[in-house]
Amino acid sequence: MITQRLFTGGSNRRVLVTALVLAAVAVLVPVLHLALPPSSPFHVPAYMVALVGKYLTYALLALALDLVWGYCGILSLGHGAFFALGGYAMGMYLMRQIGDRGVYGNPILPDFMVFLNWKELPWFWYGFDQFWFAAIMIVLAPGALAFVFGWFAFRSRVTGVYLSIITQALTYALLLAFFRNDMGFGGNNGLTDFKDILGFNVQAPETRAGLFAASALALALALLITSAITRSKYGMLMVAVRDAESRTRFIGWRPENIKVFAFTISAVMAGIAGALYVPQVGIINPGEFAPANSIEVVVWTAVGGRGTLVGPIIGALLVNGGKSWFTGILPEYWLFALGGLFIAVTLFLPKGIIGTWDSWRASRRDAAERARTKAEEDAAPPPVDPATGRPVRVEETPRAPSPGLSGGPAPQPAE
Amino acid sequence: MTVLRVLFVLVGLALSGAASAQVDDEAIRATIARFADSKNFRETEEIVRDLAATGDVRVERPLSALSDGNLSFRKSDRQVFIAPERGQTATLFDPLTGEAAGEAPKGDFTKVKVNNSLRRTIRDVISGLTLASPDPVVRLAAARTMFIAPDAANLEALDAAIAAETVTSVKISLEAARASTILVSDAPDAAKFDAIALLGQRGDRETLSLLTGFAARSQGDLQAAAQRAIDTIGKSLALWDIGQNIWYGISLGSVLLLAAIGLAITFGVMGVINMAHGEMVMIGAYTTFVVQSVIRSSFPGLFDWSLTIALPLAFLVAGAVGLALERGVIRFLYGRPLETLLATWGVSLILQQAVRTIFGPTNQEVGNPSWMSGGFQIGQLALTWNRLWIVVFALAVFGLLLYIFKRTAWGLQMRAVTANRRMASSMGIRTPWVDAFTFALGSGIAGIAGVALSQIDNVSPNLGQGYIIDSFMVVVFGGVGNLWGTLVGAFSLGIVNKFLEPYAGAVLGKILVLVLIILFIQKRPRGLFALKGRSVEA
Amino acid sequence: MSKSGTILYLDGVSVSFDGFRAINNLSLVLDRGEMRAIIGPNGAGKTTMMDIITGKTRPDAGEVYFDGTIDLTKHDEADIAMMGIGRKFQKPTVFESHTVEDNLVLALAGPRSIFPALFHRRSKAESEHIDEILATIRLEARRNDLAANLSHGQKQWLEIGMLLAQDPKLLLVDEPVAGMTDAETEETARLLKDIAKTHSVVVVEHDMHFVRELGVKVTCLHEGAVLSEGTLDHVSADDRVIEVYLGR
Ligand SMILES: Nc1ncnc2c1ncn2[C@@H]1O[C@H](COP(=O)(O)OP(=O)(O)OP(=O)(O)O)[C@@H](O)[C@H]1O
Ligand SMILES: [Mg+2]
Repeated sequence: MITQRLFTGGSNRRVLVTALVLAAVAVLVPVLHLALPPSSPFHVPAYMVALVGKYLTYALLALALDLVWGYCGILSLGHGAFFALGGYAMGMYLMRQIGDRGVYGNPILPDFMVFLNWKELPWFWYGFDQFWFAAIMIVLAPGALAFVFGWFAFRSRVTGVYLSIITQALTYALLLAFFRNDMGFGGNNGLTDFKDILGFNVQAPETRAGLFAASALALALALLITSAITRSKYGMLMVAVRDAESRTRFIGWRPENIKVFAFTISAVMAGIAGALYVPQVGIINPGEFAPANSIEVVVWTAVGGRGTLVGPIIGALLVNGGKSWFTGILPEYWLFALGGLFIAVTLFLPKGIIGTWDSWRASRRDAAERARTKAEEDAAPPPVDPATGRPVRVEETPRAPSPGLSGGPAPQPAE
Repeated sequence: MTVLRVLFVLVGLALSGAASAQVDDEAIRATIARFADSKNFRETEEIVRDLAATGDVRVERPLSALSDGNLSFRKSDRQVFIAPERGQTATLFDPLTGEAAGEAPKGDFTKVKVNNSLRRTIRDVISGLTLASPDPVVRLAAARTMFIAPDAANLEALDAAIAAETVTSVKISLEAARASTILVSDAPDAAKFDAIALLGQRGDRETLSLLTGFAARSQGDLQAAAQRAIDTIGKSLALWDIGQNIWYGISLGSVLLLAAIGLAITFGVMGVINMAHGEMVMIGAYTTFVVQSVIRSSFPGLFDWSLTIALPLAFLVAGAVGLALERGVIRFLYGRPLETLLATWGVSLILQQAVRTIFGPTNQEVGNPSWMSGGFQIGQLALTWNRLWIVVFALAVFGLLLYIFKRTAWGLQMRAVTANRRMASSMGIRTPWVDAFTFALGSGIAGIAGVALSQIDNVSPNLGQGYIIDSFMVVVFGGVGNLWGTLVGAFSLGIVNKFLEPYAGAVLGKILVLVLIILFIQKRPRGLFALKGRSVEA
Repeated sequence: MSKSGTILYLDGVSVSFDGFRAINNLSLVLDRGEMRAIIGPNGAGKTTMMDIITGKTRPDAGEVYFDGTIDLTKHDEADIAMMGIGRKFQKPTVFESHTVEDNLVLALAGPRSIFPALFHRRSKAESEHIDEILATIRLEARRNDLAANLSHGQKQWLEIGMLLAQDPKLLLVDEPVAGMTDAETEETARLLKDIAKTHSVVVVEHDMHFVRELGVKVTCLHEGAVLSEGTLDHVSADDRVIEVYLGR
């Protein structure tokens, strides 16, 4: 059914095209990286593969945020926490794959535990030597946290900025917690010095290419799934909750359930993004929980256009590409640029790139349509209502350009 | 011996009574020089007693050095020095004044020999000397030493000192020292019961450990009495502990209040989420830094006035930045709280980076004026002046704001605009200006909070970041739109935090508080002092 | 008074906001299948009464029963809506980013949990029902337009359409004809009378012409309590009603 939905409707084309492009990139880039000699002009250098691979996981994170922010109106300032949790789950797996190749050569305990004089593995590290277990935890840890948190927050009808602030407090609390050595997650330094993933050397070009492909495909798949979700009746409900939460209650829906579900799905996507991120950058540390990181994700999404799915992906790629470029030439000024971006986007481009493009297109279409109806009207007599015999009122005011999903009207209280 | 000692104390007292007891240096130095010629311990002891007989407290220095084995004489000229050795060299000090006198190879010196009996004599002599000192501070210190490390041999000296003492506080200390000494002496049980009773009335930790030690080595009724005294002291100490925690909590609460109160205005009254609020605090702290730098380089005499000068300046600077922020960004975003949040976050990044570019990323040195440094003790409570002043200051700022809101025309206008913007504007209130100045006021308050926080925190570009989440928590917890809520919120969070810390540790305590707030919001989504009514239901 | 046979039973209900009594010992009984018009001056507590019935506001005291047996004070908004109480708000509230049709789809009776919604496909019966409703509320031509672009009156109608889609046992309709032309008002009256054949309805209105059109029992509220009850003629002849509401 979902697949069927995917292929209906015109605006869907963008999602489809993006997914196809991503799939193509997933194949092409690894091939160009591995098969061509470095001298070839089409060779993709290793640093590029790593960099873009990282961006793709960021894009997945932005897409996850878009699902809750763009469609459900939940501005989460704590999505970095889910990303980091997924990353830690993957990191724990990678740590256990090191085996006795660590500095201290302990076959069971990761180096930092030996360093801290721990004698045995804490219980929550059990099972992480198996990939399947780690994979489950990558989904479960962020998902469960989001579910519990969301269940509490949404049930008590915490909304708007209040919710944003407590999500920020959530990631801040986790930041403090993960900095502690006795939490058993490597404290300040986090987890690093990875060797193998699924038996392949994480440093090997083939592995890097594989991880790149996995990131691109995961993003494509996530895009298709979120697109299907937003297009379903449930997706309509998310938007309904975003615009008029209490109204949905009076027709029998439970906004809290709708939100918890979206929040949990989104957290899982963020966790998967984090899990793909860690082997590509080779480290995960508590810094990933920093509130500033989470809020940066928001600006990627805003730049691309929230509520457009494809927009956040473009936004994440653009902003991060810009960041790499900028920090290369003017490192001290990057924060000025980022800060300026926050301001500029909210003031001048509230719908983001894609949203602005859409409304520009819509207004052009409307203008054309108006011109056509005007011509027809001039030719034909005004339509008459058969019941009353009075001329039917024709909407004189030009139709407002379609607000689309991004620029929806301000939420209204039900009165 | 005891007779001698009493005599000696009496002599000492007589000397101290004769105000100027300055025995001339030469005589003392001559006595000290005799150490070099001492043949045995008995002779050395004689010299010690002669030194003590001068009644000059300065002889404590060579005597202590002797007791520590640091008194030596140069082989070549038999001159006596305090010469602690490190490795192959000895550092030389004048035996009387303690002035450094260079270094020399250790081999050039011979130590004046001491044994334990000599050490005991020295200690007795010294405490007798200091007990007899004309300076009450020295007498107090001597009493404290004898209290903490009692020695039965001191009893007579103490009795004599108590009899002669005129300063009440010193006398109390002396009596405590006597009681503690009685407990280690072979005095009759009746005297010991009295001593326990006297000690039981003191409530400090040292008495507690003293009595605990006594209880461990005594039996029967004495032990029971000591145990009772221990329990009473334990109870009173627990109370003092609670008091101390409350004080720490109040102190943290006042910091939170200062950081949050500006936010309570911009967020609570205007509904504007200002993520750059912490940076306003930072700007205030940097203003203090600049003021102090100017004062240090140009008007060093004014240093104690630096905070007083910085306060209005910080208010103006932060207020001006706030005004610019409101006019330049925020006013376009009214009614879009989430967008405001993002834009002001951007502003905070820019401000941080600007400060980093101008002043560098490291901590800046901001000094405490003299009236802000040091501390004092009330009972078992340790208070520091800077914390105390910050509490006072926070409350003063709070009172001032309350006054502005409740009693001035501007406050009325602010409240009117909060209640119903359109209505207020149609009644002729210039809402844009009310907005702009309310925002500037909130920012200015953050600026003066920065002046206060510069006294207890590192002044770095990240200063504000550390406060923003906490301040939001205070405002959310206290209830938006209510200054009293902010006050209660700040102090209760501060106190809860400090009470959790001993059990959970600082970080975990903080995490627990965050979790508690999240749970609290479950119950009261609008905070402690929530506004009610239709306008807030969305 | 017995609760059996009633669709709505309010007895001794009071609620106050910060000391202000919006509803004061209000008692009101609606029989199954009955339509009732409620009038009263601004601030009489009409909307607040609906808030209480739909679970938005909890009463401080009093009994509120639905269908004779269900204690509404123990349920929340979504529960109450699912039991069969539908509400049209005084200020029309529709989902503005959705099309007219989708607004109806969301309101359509059916399961209200996540997974059915995720995998929902519209059945033929549902489509037909929606067509029917669209015809009834005369918005067929606008079915694919965004609700945000409807006029005030059309939004009112869309809300009534959503009520129909919900198919509740009891409809609470708050000021349905505010901002409508006379013809539209008549039309709405006809529609409501139609609905009342199969449902119980409570209508709040200030438009006396419209209330007369409905031709049902009228309750006049004042300061949170019933001032007068009976036929419109009876009520409008009541001195107190004239005093506080109708004017001389
Ligand atoms: N949540 C609330 N908080 C405070 N006061 C409220 C609240 N809800 C209603 N009121 C007050 O209760 C009173 C009754 O309001 P209500 O909206 O029920 O009147 P009404 O009869 O519907 O009036 P109208 O004809 O103007 O719609 C009003 O004075 C209103 O201000
Ligand atoms: Mg009303």
